Amino acid sequence: MSGLGEWLWLAVLALPTLAALGAAVVPPRAAERLSRGASLGTVAAALLLLVGPSQGSAGPLLGWDATSDLFAVLVASIYALSTWYSALDLATVRPSVLSPSVYYALLSGFAAAMLGTLAVSNLALMWIGLEATTIVSALLVMYDRRPASVEAAWRYTLMASGGLAVGLFGLALLYGQTGSLDAFALAAHPPPLTAALALVVALALVGFGTKVGLFPMHAWLPDAHSEAPAPVSALFSGVLLPTALYVFLRIFQLLPPTGALGLRELVVFVGALTALVAAFLTLAQRSYKRLFAYSSMENMGIALVGIGLGGIALYGAILLLIAHAFAKSSAFYCSGTVLRTTGTSRIDEVRGVGRRLPRTGPLWILSGLAVAGAPPFGSFAAELVILTGAFAQGSFGVAAALVLALGVAFAGINYPLGRMVLSRPEGPEPGPAGPESWLATIVPGLALGVALAVGLGSIPYLTDALRIATGGAFP
Amino acid sequence: MGVDLLQITILLGMAMLVLALYLQAESFIGPQIQGIALQSLLLGGLLGLLAAEEHSLPLAALAGLTVGVRALLLPHILARQAGAYRVPERELRAGRRVRGHALAAVLVAVAGGGLYLQVLGPALASPDGVIPFLLLLEGLLLLATRSNPLARVIAYLEEENAIVLLGALVAAGFPLLVESVILLDLFGVVLVAGILALHRTAAGVPEEGFVEELTG
Repeated sequence: MSGLGEWLWLAVLALPTLAALGAAVVPPRAAERLSRGASLGTVAAALLLLVGPSQGSAGPLLGWDATSDLFAVLVASIYALSTWYSALDLATVRPSVLSPSVYYALLSGFAAAMLGTLAVSNLALMWIGLEATTIVSALLVMYDRRPASVEAAWRYTLMASGGLAVGLFGLALLYGQTGSLDAFALAAHPPPLTAALALVVALALVGFGTKVGLFPMHAWLPDAHSEAPAPVSALFSGVLLPTALYVFLRIFQLLPPTGALGLRELVVFVGALTALVAAFLTLAQRSYKRLFAYSSMENMGIALVGIGLGGIALYGAILLLIAHAFAKSSAFYCSGTVLRTTGTSRIDEVRGVGRRLPRTGPLWILSGLAVAGAPPFGSFAAELVILTGAFAQGSFGVAAALVLALGVAFAGINYPLGRMVLSRPEGPEPGPAGPESWLATIVPGLALGVALAVGLGSIPYLTDALRIATGGAFP
Repeated sequence: MGVDLLQITILLGMAMLVLALYLQAESFIGPQIQGIALQSLLLGGLLGLLAAEEHSLPLAALAGLTVGVRALLLPHILARQAGAYRVPERELRAGRRVRGHALAAVLVAVAGGGLYLQVLGPALASPDGVIPFLLLLEGLLLLATRSNPLARVIAYLEEENAIVLLGALVAAGFPLLVESVILLDLFGVVLVAGILALHRTAAGVPEEGFVEELTG
């Protein structure tokens, strides 16, 4: 399997990279076709990784395991969905200095950078992969050149790069202490728990936590998510944040299961605080895209709690990242369709979506329920598992904080969403907005279907892959 | 490390720190670019000395890269961007608050030094990390207090200077490949920052612009 795993990973890395290089030099229509084809090929290769979870390496720098495989499937899937949806958004964006060809090149480059982060065993190379995502995605955020999107891209570049530098400082300290940055070698033979290692993990929490959007380093997140084109927002929320969390997880796993100088408690505290702050912030949003951005922050906080608690809660955390990625990307694709139709992202100016967009409206409502953890979607199952883990460890305060965050976020997301979709518009009744593109229905519908299938436990190989990735934490 | 080299290392490190304080107090972009170039030159010199002491070819290559990229090329690009994109020559806000910035920088240096020498240094068993640690703090402070696009890029360069210095002093042998790629990464950040600065100017986003869409 190791040999096949190498070839599959090579394909997973090469396809989006070649698409990025090729799309930049061909006309827009060809760039679109090239990117769509490459993204489908990437998904196919990534899915094959799940059939037999691989543990392998190629050369001194590349290395992967079952966890990398799972995250690769996630990135490849949302990359493909976003690539297919992009044509709808590009058709309405005003001419930019970046041509559509460059847009597709950047989109594929963004996916390649994330997949590169997952394909390496060296922590510093993971850092470089994450920093590369910043460089590429900043240009995508400001694609339409509106002042707000340029400002959002600027804030994102500075905060993400500045924060990641703190993480790199931690990695230099780790190298000074251990003489190695190989995540797998360090995990196999963990360094002794010292104050220095604790400092490394704390710096990683701040540094990589900035890219995850943890409180209080989250200021860039709502800006970038809300100003980027819808397919890019889906990539940000669905897979960029989890990729940054993946790098933190690799460093966090160097800590012993118990007695980690209070660091596990610190991580759980930061996660719970992030979830709570984000949940309450959803109540005060005026833009539906910012609403979904804060929902992403809330979900990342809950996933961090699962990572901090470990055991069965870690299983829940990774399940949540998978379910959230598909549900949230569906929500952002629907948001893109609504934005194109209504011309505004303000919640109080959008009414009667259900009547104007009879297919997108219900999908949007269902996406809102899915990201807020309603049954039977995957996020419900995942959050239940994390709560079970908290109760099992006697962390009742943490469980109570999570329940409060989930309840507030559920209301904060679904009440305005319900008003926008189900309410009657003021003034004369608008008719349907015209025929809805099938692509605008199929892409979010497919993503939502996967989020549902995750909840129903009906995805082949997923449960086994999760068990292996979390070290058999789930019975 | 011989006693003489140790003294030179400390001297160069202190000079980098003094330049970091100068960058905090300087409100003109041109001198800031020259300041970060000089700081990078000192870093390259220090790496060169360590390379000579340890007869290390990779370290010598890193010293060359640092001088070439950080001390010469990137400041040159920044200076061109400052001219081409009509970045304000002086930050008005920074100009008014320059004494406050300088005071804050000194306080951060004193508090950070105390924290490192009393708590972190003993825990890490590595007193050499104090200057990189202070440079990182000063870089973060510069990033937080400036609104000018290029001043913020300079802050980021200072942060990365701190990391390379830490790599040389504390994490000896921090892989050359990694540090080389980080240098390339800097190119990307500087170029993207330049493009964004251009668009910011074109879009009319003011230095302290309040964008209503980005609230909440």
